[in-house]
Amino acid sequence: MRAVIAEDHALLREGVVALLRENGVEVVAQAEDGPGLLRIVAGHKPDLAIVDVRLPPTFTDEGVRASIEARQRHPDLAILILSQYVEPVYTAELLAAGASGVGYLLKERVGDVRGFLEAIERVAAGGTALDPEVVAELMQSRDARAGDDALAGLTPREREVLTLMAEGRTNAAIARAMVVTPGAVEKHISNIFGKLDLPGSDDDHRRVLAVLAFLRAGQA
Amino acid sequence: MATTAMPPTDEDTTGAPGSEEPATLPPDWDAILALHTALTALAGLVVTVLWGATGAGYYWPVWVWFGLGLPLALHATVRFACLAPAGRTRGLAIHAGVTGVIAVALVALWGLTSGPTFWPAWPILSLAAFLALHGIIHLYLNRVNSPERERRLVERVDELTRTRRGALDVQAAELRRIERDLHDGAQARLVALSMHLGRAEAKLDDRPEVAEMVRQAKGEASAAIAELRDLARGIAPPILADRGLEEAIAALGRRAAMPVVVDVELKRRQPPVVESAAYFIVAEGLTNAAKHAAGGGTTARVRVAEEIGRLVVEIADDGPGGADPEGTGLTGLRHRAEALDGTLSVESAPGTGTLVRAELPCVP
Repeated sequence: MRAVIAEDHALLREGVVALLRENGVEVVAQAEDGPGLLRIVAGHKPDLAIVDVRLPPTFTDEGVRASIEARQRHPDLAILILSQYVEPVYTAELLAAGASGVGYLLKERVGDVRGFLEAIERVAAGGTALDPEVVAELMQSRDARAGDDALAGLTPREREVLTLMAEGRTNAAIARAMVVTPGAVEKHISNIFGKLDLPGSDDDHRRVLAVLAFLRAGQA
Repeated sequence: MATTAMPPTDEDTTGAPGSEEPATLPPDWDAILALHTALTALAGLVVTVLWGATGAGYYWPVWVWFGLGLPLALHATVRFACLAPAGRTRGLAIHAGVTGVIAVALVALWGLTSGPTFWPAWPILSLAAFLALHGIIHLYLNRVNSPERERRLVERVDELTRTRRGALDVQAAELRRIERDLHDGAQARLVALSMHLGRAEAKLDDRPEVAEMVRQAKGEASAAIAELRDLARGIAPPILADRGLEEAIAALGRRAAMPVVVDVELKRRQPPVVESAAYFIVAEGLTNAAKHAAGGGTTARVRVAEEIGRLVVEIADDGPGGADPEGTGLTGLRHRAEALDGTLSVESAPGTGTLVRAELPCVP
C-alpha cells in the first residue's frame, strides 16, 4: 500500500510515518498544509491519504476541505482523517463526499497499533473507519431525534454490534471484539436489519453504509 | 513623532506625551511660594535690623511687614485654593481665600491705625455678602447638571465601556490562544507519547507482564488526552472558531440528549467574545433542559437572531419548568451576558417549561 500524510506537527508526523514504515506501508510523500496535500496526491497517486484536520494556512478545517477536494479530483483516493477532536459536522461532510474509503479517527487511536493498521487497511480497501467517539455521538443524536425510538427496540448486544458496524468493522473483527463466533454476529446483524427495516446485503461494506445512512437520517 | 491632539488641560499640566514640543515640567508652585515667603521674611528682618540700628523707636517696619505680607498672604491663599479641582470649585475657593485675606488685612490696618470706630465692618460685610452670593450660585449650579460635568461623566462612561470591552476581547483572544497552544503542545505530546507506547507494546508479545504495564501507561495517557479535549471544548470550542456561531449551535443541537429545533439566522460573524457568550449560553441552557427533562418527551428550541444592535439568544423547552434563576448555572450565564452589557432573563413557571432569553449588544 502506498500512502501519503499531511500533518503540520513534525513530532506526530514523524511518529506516524515511522509506525507505518515499520508495518509495511510505504509512505511516498509528506505534506504540511492543504495545498501541499493536493500537490503530493496529484504527483504520486497514492492509495491512501492520512490527513490532519487542522492544517495551515487557516488552522481551522483545512484538512477536511483539502481532502474533499482531493477526492473530487481523484475519486479512487481513500482518505483517513486524523484529528485531536471529533467534530460530527466534518464526518458528515466527508461521508457526503462519498462513503467509500473514508475514515475519521482521533489521533490517539494511533496508540493502538493493531487497531490503527486494521483501520488503514479497511479504508484503503474501500471500507470505512469511524472513531468510536464519532459513532457514540451519532447514536446519541439518533436516540434523541424527535418521535423516533427505533433504536430502543434493540437489545444491548444488538446495540453493541450496531455500534461496531457503524465504526466500519468487518463481521470477523466484530466477532473478535465481542468474543463471539462470526455466526452469532451474523445472526445479530440480520435481527438488527429486521428491526430497523434496513435493506439486507451480503456485502459487509454495503451493510455498513446502510447503518450509517440510518444513523444519519433526519439529521439537519 | 506624530502629533496628538492635546486634551484640555488645567493650568498645572503641560504637553501631553507624544506632542512635538519637548515636555516641560510644571512650575514648582510650592517652591515659588517658599521663595516668596523667604524673601518677605528676609526683607522684614533686614528692616528690623535697620530699625534697631537707627534708634529703635516706633516700630516702623510693621508697615513693611504689612505691605510685603499682604501679597504673600494672597499668594499663599491662591496657591492653596488651587488645590481644589479646576473649574467652578476652584473659582469659589480663590474668591473665599482672597476675601479672607482682605478681611484680615482690613482688620490689621484698623488695629495698626487704631481708629475709633470699627470702620472695616461695612467693607467686610459686603465682601462676605458677595462671597455668600457666589457660594449660593455655586451650590445651585452643582445641583443642576452643568453641561461640563455631564460631558465629563459621559466621557468617563464611554471610556469605561470601551476599556471593559477591550478587556473582554483580550480575554477571548487569550482563550483561543490557550486552546491552540494546548492543541499544538500538551495534547500533541500526549498523542505522540501514546504512539510510542503503542509501538513499544506491539514489540512486547513475549513479555506479557511488561506489555500490561505499557498498556496501563497508555490508558493514563488516553485519559489525560480526553480530559484536555474536554477542557479545550469548555474554553474555546474548535468548531466555533472554525465555522462560526450558526454551525456551532447546530452541532450543540445535534449533540443534545433530546430533540432540539435550531433556528439560527445570522448574516455575519460576531466578535469572538459575543460568539463565545452566545455559544456557552446555549450550551448551558440545553444542558439544564436535559438535566430537568421529565424522562424523555421534552423537546427544546434554540433561536438566535440579529436584531438592531443586538443578538437575541433564546432557549425554550417544554419540560417541567420551575428552574431557579438564582442557581449557579443560570447566574453564571447572566454574568456572561452582563459582562457584555447585555441581559439574561429566565421564565420558568412550574409546569409550563422554561425560557432563557439573553440579549447581547453588538455593533450593528
